[in-house]
Amino acid sequence: MKVWTIALSTFGSFLRNRLLIVFGVVFACTVLLMMTPLLGAKAMAKMGNSQQAEVMVLGMVSAIMFFVSGTGSLLAAWCAADAVASEMKSGTILAVMARPVKRWEFLLGKYAGVMLLMWVYVVMMYGLSWLLAWIGGERIHSTTWVLLVYPMVRYAVYSAVAMALVTVLHPLVTMGATLIMAVVALIVEPTTQAMTSNWKYLRVPIWIVLPSTSLLSEERFLTITHASLKQAGWLEHLTTVTYGLDYALVFVLIAMWSFHYRSLTRD
Amino acid sequence: MTTAAIEFKEVTKVYRRRLAGQEVPALTHVSFEVGAGEVCAFLGPNGAGKTTSINILMGFLYADGGEIRVLGYEPGDVRAKQKIGFVPENFAFYKYLNAEKLLRFHLALAGGDMSKSIGLIRDLLFKVQLTGYEKLKIGKYSRGMVQRLGIAQALLSDPQLLILDEPTSGLDPAGRKEVKDLIHAMRNEGKTIFLSSHILSEVEEISDRAVIINKGRLVRMGSLNELLGTGDVIEIVTDQLPAEMEPMLAEWGATIDRGAHGVRIVAGATHKRELAEKLWAGGCDVVSMVPVRSSLEDLYMKLVGSGEAV
Repeated sequence: MKVWTIALSTFGSFLRNRLLIVFGVVFACTVLLMMTPLLGAKAMAKMGNSQQAEVMVLGMVSAIMFFVSGTGSLLAAWCAADAVASEMKSGTILAVMARPVKRWEFLLGKYAGVMLLMWVYVVMMYGLSWLLAWIGGERIHSTTWVLLVYPMVRYAVYSAVAMALVTVLHPLVTMGATLIMAVVALIVEPTTQAMTSNWKYLRVPIWIVLPSTSLLSEERFLTITHASLKQAGWLEHLTTVTYGLDYALVFVLIAMWSFHYRSLTRD
Repeated sequence: MTTAAIEFKEVTKVYRRRLAGQEVPALTHVSFEVGAGEVCAFLGPNGAGKTTSINILMGFLYADGGEIRVLGYEPGDVRAKQKIGFVPENFAFYKYLNAEKLLRFHLALAGGDMSKSIGLIRDLLFKVQLTGYEKLKIGKYSRGMVQRLGIAQALLSDPQLLILDEPTSGLDPAGRKEVKDLIHAMRNEGKTIFLSSHILSEVEEISDRAVIINKGRLVRMGSLNELLGTGDVIEIVTDQLPAEMEPMLAEWGATIDRGAHGVRIVAGATHKRELAEKLWAGGCDVVSMVPVRSSLEDLYMKLVGSGEAV
């Protein structure tokens, strides 16, 4: 009950956050601009091969959604960092923590509030991917739950990491660290290209430690065409989702442990 | 003393700035107790360690050493927090909420009965004179209104112990009087009140005991009678004083102050009756006769000014 109260309050504060509102407007404008080539692709498709057009349109949808989804990861990290840091900076945390609320309940409530916001974002993202495909004259072939669950798990990971970091670091440093982590995680993804042995030995452990963005990415499901449609096995999905949730859980626990021992005032 | 509501034993706190390699002692072996049902003032200049002590009591900060008990529990224990009402020094709030929503949020966190929230919130807002402003966003409140709202949220769960950090800061004289009256009312209800304030005249009126700290060390504590004396000196104001009485008064060690509105005589209480009779016999009209004790402000300035510590 207390966790849910804090979560709803956190979610409400995000909806009134001016920075987030500005971000939303700029973001919507950017996505609108990115839609333009889709209309061009649709026009071209009418003149040429429909199978080729499907690949092209879905490729474009995937590219736009890569941008939208990637921005979501940053949004998740920022909201998680800000949810805790802004309460401490403004001092509102004192009146809240003077109530019979345990520190872990407060942090879990904040985390749940971020997840509520990200759920809204994911649902909008899902709607956008369908809209983009429709504008391009195609349809998304992947199942709904995959397009909803995969990004949610990825955002759960990034917000958990940011929340753990912000218990010891400034929110801007936290954002920087999370961003670097996300980029490094992309760089160290296994590829088919040949690697020097030294780099290989460094790359593998980093890849194991950092969250795999591409593994938890839903874009790979967006590019599935009618021709390439195949069902991914339940075990494959389950393993991937469990991997992400486990990663998030570990960082939420680290955040709770770290938050338990820190001062709640600006000393 | 009855069972202690607050026990602070040999508490030490040092702020460490790791990067700068600095250590700033905030509290050094501070010990005091606050009994149940008492109104205890916590006094000291800015930077004395009052807010640090209160933050430790509330579990917002951890002490480096010592033993602390609040209502028999460790600081931050939810069982203790269920019985505590707290007003921080600068009550911060969610500006986008109105008073009603803020109090509902706090009531939910306190585990209160939400079905009775409407009546409870209305009563509390009436008590702190915010009726009519319940739908106004808190961001538009004046400082005094915010402070009163802070007091309302502290009273939400009918607390046993009230911890008030500068409850009258930012309030005008009328607002300060309202808070003072509220504290009186809460004392009459048997609540324990621990408050820090810089307005010593008000503190003196409402407190049973005082704890004075300076530079992180305990300077003095005790009941106000112990600290200020019980009135072994009296002040008599008369309309006139015959010159032939002055040598006798000088012999008693009395001081005489002749003013436009009468003569003020301060003498030992042992001569009270004799002096009054002689004044009446000498044709003087005794306007007032009151016991004199030093004020909390005098004591505070003496202790804090001298940097005395026990």
